[in-house]
Amino acid sequence: MLSFIYAAGGPATISPPTLIIDIALMAMLVVVAFAIVRMRSLFAIVMLQGVYSLMCAAWFVTLDAVDVAFTEAAVGAGISTVLMLSAMLLTDRQSAPVGAKKSLGPLLVCVLAGAAMFYAIPDMPAYGDANSPANTGPGMEYMTAAVTDVEIPNIVTAVLASYRGYDTMAETVVIFMAGLGVLLLLGLNGNAGFWQAKVQGQNIFSLTAPRTRILTSTEDKPETEPPAPDEAAPPKPKPKRKPAAAKKRAAKKPAAKKTAAKKPAAKKTGGKGSAS
Amino acid sequence: MNSHLILRTVSKFLIPLIVVYGLYVHFHGDFGPGGGFQAGVIVAAAVVLYALIFGIDACKVAVPPSWIRIGMTVGVMLFAGTGVVTWLLGGAFFDYDVLKYDPDHPAGQHLGIICVELGVLFTVATVMVAIFYAFGSRTPDISDEDW
Amino acid sequence: MAADNTHSAPANPVDIPWDAVLEWGLALASTGLIVSGAIFVLAGALGVLRMPDFFTRMHAAGMTDTLGAEFILLGLMLQAGFSQMTLKLLLVAFFLFLTSPTATHAIANAALKSGLKPQLGPYKAPELSEIEGKTPSEGAH
Repeated sequence: MLSFIYAAGGPATISPPTLIIDIALMAMLVVVAFAIVRMRSLFAIVMLQGVYSLMCAAWFVTLDAVDVAFTEAAVGAGISTVLMLSAMLLTDRQSAPVGAKKSLGPLLVCVLAGAAMFYAIPDMPAYGDANSPANTGPGMEYMTAAVTDVEIPNIVTAVLASYRGYDTMAETVVIFMAGLGVLLLLGLNGNAGFWQAKVQGQNIFSLTAPRTRILTSTEDKPETEPPAPDEAAPPKPKPKRKPAAAKKRAAKKPAAKKTAAKKPAAKKTGGKGSAS
Repeated sequence: MNSHLILRTVSKFLIPLIVVYGLYVHFHGDFGPGGGFQAGVIVAAAVVLYALIFGIDACKVAVPPSWIRIGMTVGVMLFAGTGVVTWLLGGAFFDYDVLKYDPDHPAGQHLGIICVELGVLFTVATVMVAIFYAFGSRTPDISDEDW
Repeated sequence: MAADNTHSAPANPVDIPWDAVLEWGLALASTGLIVSGAIFVLAGALGVLRMPDFFTRMHAAGMTDTLGAEFILLGLMLQAGFSQMTLKLLLVAFFLFLTSPTATHAIANAALKSGLKPQLGPYKAPELSEIEGKTPSEGAH
């Protein structure tokens, strides 16, 4: 990769093996994309999106864009798959079928956008063209200046963190804002910032946790719960595990209720799906 | 959860190595592919793996939500703070050369880049875990038969 | 003793070029490893397509990324010689050796837990009449 960066300038020729790998990867991307569009099972779709990202990453590697490939593999195939899965579990396992009339508009948009892309392809510079804007514009100045200015071999890091420090700071702030938004909407415990627990048979739902929370869940429990006196007897790990178990129970209650309420609705959509 | 003996054993072995790999990606980002963003995502993936294998409640004991809230802010402050430090030292905002003077090679640049990327690592890792916590905590525990 | 003497003697009529032998041996060994890895990958791919039920197909797929990938990585290690690349390849091989059987196990375990029963008993090839009744994609092979 380093030799590629330092030797940039000369036109790179594509060797046939690379071309074959590129074409094979792109063909697989198209197949996976069609499978994603055609599938009903959301679980399979999420998994296929991970596959799509991983193949994109492999393709980026063959294009010598290692940093982008790394990010794509870590974010697209790793984290976002998990996030999509956990989001999917809150909704449904099957997507509702969409009628042919409703999908006509999106199809038109897709076809138009695709046609515009194909129209633009002849204007693209050839792969590895030394006279393309990317290889003659301000990017090349960074390439030559970074060798003496920053003296780190990875130009991508030099540009990202040093030359374009402002941009990267704003990117970090964007990520921070995204996290902040999710925290404000959902809360870290999935209770939208509210504190809730079931203490001594009564639901507590408040903006802040009471100061005596730990006390009630550890020391008061054995006294106020006469039906389970044996639980206090087992030795070491029990008192440690107590608060976690109590918290778990408190956190699980509303979630369980939610699924119970959601089940019939899910069934209804499933029934519709099989009927049409 | 108790049935996944193999998964638990392997992941107990792998999770520390994943975190070490994330740190390697971060500190080696000057010389090879990688950097704060990728490293943050890898560290977050280790936490997510722990939550997937051992349950999200155990994960919240290991990585408390308060750390997540603090880490998000610390990352942004570390990034912006590096700029402020260069400012106070008499340079322009993000002019890393004033951080450390070395006539032979730009040591200040290296220091500044590592600091700034550390901020990115903190923010990205904690935000990813925060989003996972936010979604994962709302999800009811699913039994194996439910799939 | 005598053989040792003749070997070290400068007037040896047949001077074996050990460097070239080593180079050729390494090349042959790495080629053999990579080719056997490729054969395992091919067998795995064939198995995924042809095996009768989920668990046997899972077995074939698992073989692809354990044996196939391991052999190919070993061959690449021999190609790389003693360098940092060898160490990285060794680490990749090690992690692959840990994770891919675990992933295979997890998938098979999840399938078993969710109620998928493995097909037991001797494998019986489907009759011609059965094949014709099926969809063309299934019956083509």
